[in-house]
Amino acid sequence: MYKSKKTGVIGITITIIILILIVILSNTDIKEVSYIENILGSIVMPVQNGLTYLKNKIEGNDSFFIELESLKKENETLKQKNSELEQSLRELEIIKSENQTLKEYVNLKEKYQDYQTIPAYIINRDISNFTKTIVINVGEKDGIKPKMTVISDKGLVGYIISTTKSTSKVQTIIDPSTSVSSIITTSREEIIVSGTLESNTNLKATYIPTNATLLENDNIETSGLGGIYPKGIHIGTIKQIINTQNSIDRYAIVETAVDFSKLETVLVITNQVEE
Amino acid sequence: MKKILTLIAIIITFFIIYFLQANFFTWFTINGVMPNLFVIFVLWIGLFIGKKSGLIFGLLFGIYIDILIGKTIGLSGIMLGIIGLIAEYIDKNFSKDSRLTIMLIIAASTAIYEIGIYIFQIIKWKISPEILPFIQTLLIEILFNVILSIILYPIIQKLGNIAESKFKSKTILTRYF
Repeated sequence: MYKSKKTGVIGITITIIILILIVILSNTDIKEVSYIENILGSIVMPVQNGLTYLKNKIEGNDSFFIELESLKKENETLKQKNSELEQSLRELEIIKSENQTLKEYVNLKEKYQDYQTIPAYIINRDISNFTKTIVINVGEKDGIKPKMTVISDKGLVGYIISTTKSTSKVQTIIDPSTSVSSIITTSREEIIVSGTLESNTNLKATYIPTNATLLENDNIETSGLGGIYPKGIHIGTIKQIINTQNSIDRYAIVETAVDFSKLETVLVITNQVEE
Repeated sequence: MKKILTLIAIIITFFIIYFLQANFFTWFTINGVMPNLFVIFVLWIGLFIGKKSGLIFGLLFGIYIDILIGKTIGLSGIMLGIIGLIAEYIDKNFSKDSRLTIMLIIAASTAIYEIGIYIFQIIKWKISPEILPFIQTLLIEILFNVILSIILYPIIQKLGNIAESKFKSKTILTRYF
């Protein structure tokens, strides 16, 4: 396609740059690019200020600029105070986060005290865009068997589908082929939550009874039916209810309690209590 | 001896691709979608080595991937084997000396591979088809693979010609007549 070696190299370099830009832009939240906003703003803002000044002069509203010096000083003091407050806030956030983690572990131990668990690390993630399985570093030699439930400090992760001596494959609840029999904690109505292709953080709740009352932020937990997951393990919260013309078809979007993109450690329940 | 060395190089390349796919491309994504380097690799084997090697390596690599991370043993194997076969068919009927041809072959093969896998999953796991999210993800994956093919084209051609001269030296150029 390229006529010479030089243009070929340029073409490949441009393609690499385009690819990197696509990757960065498609994965970056607008909140994370405030520094770009600052740079771009610094180009436009001085001119904009000048224009505003002129506009105010014309309109006879220049008192703001007369007090500019005092405002600058006040601004400096406020900036100083703000930075001190931010520092304190950061310290508090760290303490809060540590406290939260400790609380979660205590709660987890209390909540699942009937279960014996084995901790494990995730050592491999799915390499396909259409399935969502993970591999953990415990296997048969640790007493892991297929169909054992896998949880994390936040809630349900999935179940073991196969094991080797030292590793196990886990089918997560966000995998499109996973369906979990669940209940809404407030109304005790039974529903089915399934993984979707669309999202790694949301599940689709279906088979909602027509007379069931659903509210956003209602908690969803396992019902214990189906023979895999024990009863009462937190799955997530209802994020959105989608009403359709036919009430039988209505469904809800459930946000998983576990953040699968950041999940690193899990617990395998080795002694499930038979219901 | 040179053929054996080439085969060893193919196996080593497979592992390099596996680690790239399992680590680097889990975060270097386009809107959360990874490329599929295995399809590109098996296509390369089928196009440049031939003699059913695309089918054999596709099957073996696919089964290995299934054992490592898959839910059904053999599914990726069958689909990568088919891609290998398609590559050999393409080699007999089309010229592969054009970047555009390689890009189109990669785009079509990625689509065939993923659609095949998805249809099998719908049948096997009885999941409800999610056509729009599937197409959306597939298109991004195809775009990613095509962009990679543009970048990798010189390597694909150079290494391909070396491999072709070792494995298909007697039949070379016959396709042009």
